[in-house]
Amino acid sequence: MSTVLDLHSHSEASEDSRAPLEAYLNWLKLRHAERPVHGIVLTEHRQFNQAADYRALEDKFGLMVLKASEVETDYGHVLVFGVTGEMTARFDFANVRLPAQEVIDEVARMGGVAIPCHPGRPNVGLCEHYAKKPPLENVIAVEVLNGGSRKGEDERSEALVRQYGYGAIGGSDSHLVSLIGLCATRFDAAIRTIEDLVRELREGAYEPVDFRPRRKPVPHAVPVEVK
Amino acid sequence: MAVNYDPAIIGRVFETTDPVPVDAATIATFAATIGDTNPLHVDPEVARQGPYGGLTAPPSFAVTFRNGRHFFEHVPRFGKQGFDAGKDVEFVAPIRPGDAITLSSHVKEIYEKTGRSGSMVFVVIRSTLTNQNGAVVAHVDHRFMNRT
Repeated sequence: MSTVLDLHSHSEASEDSRAPLEAYLNWLKLRHAERPVHGIVLTEHRQFNQAADYRALEDKFGLMVLKASEVETDYGHVLVFGVTGEMTARFDFANVRLPAQEVIDEVARMGGVAIPCHPGRPNVGLCEHYAKKPPLENVIAVEVLNGGSRKGEDERSEALVRQYGYGAIGGSDSHLVSLIGLCATRFDAAIRTIEDLVRELREGAYEPVDFRPRRKPVPHAVPVEVK
Repeated sequence: MAVNYDPAIIGRVFETTDPVPVDAATIATFAATIGDTNPLHVDPEVARQGPYGGLTAPPSFAVTFRNGRHFFEHVPRFGKQGFDAGKDVEFVAPIRPGDAITLSSHVKEIYEKTGRSGSMVFVVIRSTLTNQNGAVVAHVDHRFMNRT
């Protein structure tokens, strides 16, 4: 059985989001036909809430809620999956200048996986940093589909993946209820826990999926004959 | 953290305003201005039988109270430029005619983040609204962004 997860979302625990988790899950339940995800991963900015327990909401809506974090580094923003107490002790997640290479290597050593997100985005994406600095080592995947991308940003991410052979994930990067689940990642395997997710990101098969509605093409203008 | 400030400023109240009296006419004018026709705000008879036992102000009335004239002198600044990045309001208790509302302000939080446009430092000032009985009626968080 495959699993579809939105791997990048922010609830109101992030200072720039106003989206309650329950509203996200309610929206996904209502929009299941358009955004058929099995769950979401909360990647709150610069923090990780080890104690947060969402089982009651998972049961209420029949959707999975996993926890991760989005940290900020000298190579842009990075999603950290499988966060442990050892990681939060090793790194100050509030530091916006974390050393990316150390984050990737240490997180892997501690049993998690660190994945650069929105690499095509100016300033906080990998592409811009790769133009000035050596590429990072041990990157296993990057986020090529991001629901908050502007024109051209996802295309830059795709080019990066082609050039370096990275794996590719997708996430909505939702900060608003109506945007949850617009981009996601489809895994071949069944995923039930954060440990499953980390394992599949490291070793499994997955691909980004795009549920954003296609815009209807604008009809060609009919030239008006001027007499 | 690279952003430098004296941590002692966090939580220290730097300004408390004089009490501002609230009356039914002011509440009615505010309700009419925002198009709120709920009788709980304007009809004393209906309000008396309502959940609060009397007239109350619309929740957004909380943002009409002004900080003191020296408020901005106490907002820490970082970097080159900045702007008002919005407000969050937490409503705690109804504001009623006859209340006298006092605002006390302190620096709640300072944090740094990076985005498409570069590095930023955010300063959050919390103004706590208290009535004449010392009961908190609302918190207003003013968020200021500084470009660094």
